[in-house]
Amino acid sequence: MSYVFYPGCSLEGTARDFGQSTMAVAKALGLELPELPDWTCCGSTAAHQTDPLLALALPAKNLAAAGGKTVAVCCAACYSRLKTANHEISASPDVRRKVAEVTGIDYDGRTPVLHLLEILAKDIGLAKIAARVTRPLKGLRVVSYYGCLLSRPPEITNFDNAENPMLMDNVMKAAGAEAIDWPHKTECCGASYSITDVSIVLALTREILSMARAAGADCIVTACPLCQINLDMRQKDVAKKFGEEYNLPVFYFTQLLGLALGLEPASLGLGSLVVDPMPLLAAKDF
Amino acid sequence: MSTTRETRLDDEAADFVALVEAESGTPLAACLQCAKCTAGCPVAARADIKPHVLVRLVQLGQRDEVLSSRMIWECTSCQTCTTRCPQKVDIAALNDALRRLSRAAGKVVGGTTVPTFNDIFLRTIRRLGRMYEMGLMTSFKLRTGNLMADVDKFPMMLAKRKLALLPPHVRGAAERKRLFERARRAGEPAAAGAKAGGEKK
Repeated sequence: MSYVFYPGCSLEGTARDFGQSTMAVAKALGLELPELPDWTCCGSTAAHQTDPLLALALPAKNLAAAGGKTVAVCCAACYSRLKTANHEISASPDVRRKVAEVTGIDYDGRTPVLHLLEILAKDIGLAKIAARVTRPLKGLRVVSYYGCLLSRPPEITNFDNAENPMLMDNVMKAAGAEAIDWPHKTECCGASYSITDVSIVLALTREILSMARAAGADCIVTACPLCQINLDMRQKDVAKKFGEEYNLPVFYFTQLLGLALGLEPASLGLGSLVVDPMPLLAAKDF
Repeated sequence: MSTTRETRLDDEAADFVALVEAESGTPLAACLQCAKCTAGCPVAARADIKPHVLVRLVQLGQRDEVLSSRMIWECTSCQTCTTRCPQKVDIAALNDALRRLSRAAGKVVGGTTVPTFNDIFLRTIRRLGRMYEMGLMTSFKLRTGNLMADVDKFPMMLAKRKLALLPPHVRGAAERKRLFERARRAGEPAAAGAKAGGEKK
């Protein structure tokens, strides 16, 4: 299959390491991800809370530019906005016309959109990934954290089971890790309030960290730039507010998969993680 | 057929219900008050109006109470309510509609900085095409006056290369500006309706 890559804004800023590790893993697996030229922001939460038509027009403009190729996405928030635009535009001729009037392009809502996890688990396949693993993550106990927007609402994202998604767990198993079942896979971490109301973020982040520890995890693995920075960077604030030290490394799934594929830590942006993962990786002898 | 007592809304309340249904695109009358939305809501414990109560208040046309609620600015847009509702009421879309109507009616509760943040975010992408986190944070701090929040994070984020120093450059600035302008103009009638606060359309 032929893809065009929509990085989204976070991969150029706070989640630069997600972008870096995605490119490294793609290269190792022979997956070509050429960047969509002149892509613009999907509008994110700000657009859908403020202007519903703009919230469809911004994704539509990008999806129309994909020229019929499948759009590959890493950010769960971009994924949600692109899929929502497709859902609403393809379901209603009236919406399609209104969006076309704003963008100047009659987009039909049918450009396929896939998250990188779907591409790895479904298009490339778990068996092929497992066959490429040279340094299995044996004995690493990970909890997969999907967050909100990959799996919800399922009528729009069609990603996996909305209450118990398994795609990331399965990719981690293919990488040789022990994927632990836990109840907070899709609980919200409150990332949309990172800047506007940290009290919401700290309360929700604490619950997720606490459950990850109770489940016996060595680390958390994420698939969303907003979840990752939230769970990673806010551990210090959680410690200060609630007196609970977690010190749990929070990886992108591409970083752990990259290690299993034998890639060097430096090429996976591990130095950008706030909770230093090196002691854990050293203890596990990776 | 019905043996239950009928509750009739006055015209103003009925118009508000119709406006919210049109803005959110979701059928509010379908709600059974099972409270499954509230059971799964990550912020229900702190909410001034819990999700299922918010739906009920809208059904009853309680315009001022819902538009000035704190809850609509604390909803994390996580979509759990929408996903689990057995009656397919899209409560997340309802919240988005209430946010817009709240702003248009000048009813935004004091203390929330979400509308300010959203405006700066959208202005940034209109101008630059993509997010510029340093610019966004600076503008937001200046606008809200909360200069010291999270300042300890900046040196760490810079050291870990989590912040781009220079703004992005994306071609098509003029077309982008026109796109935003056309979207804004297309949204005007609904906003005007909200300001009129339930007057007959």
